[in-house]
Amino acid sequence: MKGTFLGEFQELVLLAILALGEEAYGVSIQQKIKEVAGRDITRGALHSALSRLEEKGFLKSAFGEATKERGGRRKRLYSVTVSGQNALKEARMIRESFRSSIKPSFNFE
Amino acid sequence: MSKANKPVKPPKLFRKLLRWFCASDLLEEIEGDLEETFSYNSATRGTWFAKLIYIKEVVFLIRPSVIKKLKFDNSNNTVMLQNYAKVGFRNILKYKVFSFINVFGLAVSMSVSLLIILMLVCQHQYDQFHSKKDRIYRILTAHNDGNTTAATTPFSTLEAFNENYSLAEHTTSLRRGIGGDAVYKKKFTQMIGYFADPDFFEVFSYELSKGNPTTALTNPNSMIISEEISRKLFGNSNPLGKTVDFTNRGLDFDDDESGSPDFWGTFTITGVIPINYYKTHLRFDVLVSKSSLNNLYQQEKVHDLSQNWSNYYQAYNYVVLNEASSEENLSQALSDLSHTKFSELEEMQVSYLISQSILDFRPGPLLNNAPSISLPMPVYYILSLLALVILLLACLNYTNLSIARAITRSKEIGIRKVTGARRKDLIFQFLSESIITSFLALLLANLVLYFVKSAFMDLWVNQYLNFDLAANLYIYGIFLGFAIFMGAVAGIFPALRLSKQQPVQALKALASSGKTKMSLRKSLTVLQFVVSLLFIITAIVIHNQFRHVMEHDYGFETENILTINLQSNDYEKVKAAFSSISGVSTISGSEYLPSTGRTENMALKVNTEEEPKTLIAISADSEFIDVLDFETIAGNIKQPLTDDGLTIVINREAASVLGYQVPAEIIGESFEMYNGKYVKVIGVIENFTFHLLFNGRSKSPLIIYNNPKRFTMANLSIRSTNRSKILADMSLAWESIDPVHPFTYEFYDENLANNNRGIFDIVSIVGFVAFLAVTIATLGLLGIVIYTAERRTKEVGIRKILGSSNVSLTFLLSKEFLKLLLIAIWIAAPLAYVLNNFWLNFMTVKVDFGLGTVLLGIFILLGIGLLTIGSQTLKTASSNPIEALKTE
Repeated sequence: MKGTFLGEFQELVLLAILALGEEAYGVSIQQKIKEVAGRDITRGALHSALSRLEEKGFLKSAFGEATKERGGRRKRLYSVTVSGQNALKEARMIRESFRSSIKPSFNFE
Repeated sequence: MSKANKPVKPPKLFRKLLRWFCASDLLEEIEGDLEETFSYNSATRGTWFAKLIYIKEVVFLIRPSVIKKLKFDNSNNTVMLQNYAKVGFRNILKYKVFSFINVFGLAVSMSVSLLIILMLVCQHQYDQFHSKKDRIYRILTAHNDGNTTAATTPFSTLEAFNENYSLAEHTTSLRRGIGGDAVYKKKFTQMIGYFADPDFFEVFSYELSKGNPTTALTNPNSMIISEEISRKLFGNSNPLGKTVDFTNRGLDFDDDESGSPDFWGTFTITGVIPINYYKTHLRFDVLVSKSSLNNLYQQEKVHDLSQNWSNYYQAYNYVVLNEASSEENLSQALSDLSHTKFSELEEMQVSYLISQSILDFRPGPLLNNAPSISLPMPVYYILSLLALVILLLACLNYTNLSIARAITRSKEIGIRKVTGARRKDLIFQFLSESIITSFLALLLANLVLYFVKSAFMDLWVNQYLNFDLAANLYIYGIFLGFAIFMGAVAGIFPALRLSKQQPVQALKALASSGKTKMSLRKSLTVLQFVVSLLFIITAIVIHNQFRHVMEHDYGFETENILTINLQSNDYEKVKAAFSSISGVSTISGSEYLPSTGRTENMALKVNTEEEPKTLIAISADSEFIDVLDFETIAGNIKQPLTDDGLTIVINREAASVLGYQVPAEIIGESFEMYNGKYVKVIGVIENFTFHLLFNGRSKSPLIIYNNPKRFTMANLSIRSTNRSKILADMSLAWESIDPVHPFTYEFYDENLANNNRGIFDIVSIVGFVAFLAVTIATLGLLGIVIYTAERRTKEVGIRKILGSSNVSLTFLLSKEFLKLLLIAIWIAAPLAYVLNNFWLNFMTVKVDFGLGTVLLGIFILLGIGLLTIGSQTLKTASSNPIEALKTE
């Protein structure tokens, strides 16, 4: 089941893309992750994650518009596919079921 | 404000790097992202920060998923390469004559270049073993007046250098002037060497096979000897600590004339050095500790030169720079030093000190007083130029024949192009063919090299040069690289030409063949023959010049004169012993012989007020004039020269220098010498050739005076025809006078001829190169003629059936080539005339050079050319037309 496994970092990326909605591309994803998770990631690391997610079919991408600060180069906009959303749900369910099986001696709140 | 106008850009280098490695389908997105981040960062955090982040981002992008995939445009590469090799070999085998011409021409010309590579590699191996070789420099004395730079400097140089500058880690100086006999228990040997200080072993990395290098040169009267000397004196026993008696006789490396013997005392052997096993610029038999000098100064056996700045002939001075100093520092210091020391001395006004790295010794510039003989750099340039010309001729052959064959191959080219070969594939294919040819040539060249090498080593000059021309793996590596380069050079032009053809034209080209760019091929052929003719004529001229010099009339007797080296024995004793030998008619003693390259000077005052006139002086007795049979023009020569040296015989030129145009008037006149004494002229002889024949000076005022103390040789006039008998008698007589030194003699005419042997070497080399040039050019012509004749077989057949005669057909086929030959002659003949006259102008004695020689050269070239063309065209013209028309 290697194909559908979702790594922790990949999960973060998917969530960031969902949060960004229409405006999810390289720089905005990097910024979002930094903003929410406080993690400074390189573009290279992000590229690895994105390309793997795309390979698994969790993401799809399309070219967006070019801007001046990009030196006239187009953005590549990412969006999460249905199977991507399913994978996120599944990951969450796995965690939930673990949490419910943990004794109340540890409080998540 | 200017910042706002000029947007900051990400680091250029890293942007380039990104573009280079990033896969093209990712580049737009990633580069855009990085640039956006960059502009955001530079706006919020400053340019420097933004740049750093950019660099970091780029570096972290270097990962497999981002890097471009390596692309191979043809999965069948090996098959294609195999095909190239196969087609290449097939072509070589199919056109055996052309392949032979190409391979042979390239091989012969390559062998010459290989020889030069061997020579250069051999020279580059010199002095590589010194651990401080990058920092070792020799100080040279250069001159502004055009005199050759000397390898020696004043003996005082290093002391002053070390006092004033702290650039050196170590310095050492070698002083010349040791040459004589060492005796140990009645065994004796001759040895020549230097005074050296203990730092000698700090500067150089020679190792002693016996003895301690740090102390061996410390004490006075210590001696380090070479292994050869050790074997001669001590056999296999340990020489350390043994003492030898040393008698100096003023011997030097480059001549075997000796002065009067001078006992220097007893020396202790403190070391043995295997100097001849080192590839090094120094050659010596003995090193004597420098501390021995003080004693020798006191006894006045050696001149104290430690404060002398005008004698720059005696010492080799070496410096090891310390780590902190550079060659510029050294040059600056030497320039300052020469300024302060030389400016006071009148004779040193034009001189200055310079440095030379030990790595530039060999091959190096031409130097006076060099400690060993080697070919100077210009000789290598000339040899390389000759080799290059020959190589060029061979490459032209390849080019020419390949282009000529283009028509035959255009079908192949067309098919290849139609099936999808790109131009660069074809270029690669043709280059691989030429490189295969070149490799074959290299194999053959190695064989030819064997003969060329042994011929080269037999040259006269090589007995002095010590070339070690053995090849090793490294050298074969160079050869291989050289062969690839040659193949590429020879093949690149045809490859570019042939691959250019359009497939359609290439496929239908057979019809419209003949005229394609014939002019280019023609001019290449013409060029080859221009070069050949130049070489032929030059070789003839040099050969004539050589013969002319050998037959030169010196103006005195040179035959049947035997010169015996006195080797410091008393002349009268030698004379007494030899005069009784039958066949010896006259014996004379002299200091040296004319026309052997040596000169001594003497100054005479004409009037007391005037500047003294410098004349060439030679010390000899009256018999000298009989032996050499000088022509007397005034005075009574029979009256003997007094052995106080105060009566002189002069030549006509000397008389005129001293102010007497009529020689008879000078008889009985006296002139003041440098020491205040007067010499009286008793006879005048006719002028003769005094200097070496290639020496520019022709006038030589000469005086002969009799000072037996200066005699170094006995000159015997011999009547007997049985030379071996007389030599055997002499050898016996010699042993009765001097049982220690071996009998050494020389015939004067052979001695004179030897002085000009260098020219013979040049004759051999230029002659050989001319031979190669002509051979290669002729082979090339043969190839083209064969090809053309073959291609016109059908035409000839038809013409014959229609009634052409053999003669007219031969002429038809030859016409085009004859024209080329004539053009070549028309260009080369005047060029050869001008060039050869140019160098002949530098010769004192020069051969007549005119139309005759040029015509002879042209005749040779035409003869060879016509033979080549005629043999092939006649064959084609006289063949049976039926056969010609039948073949398809």
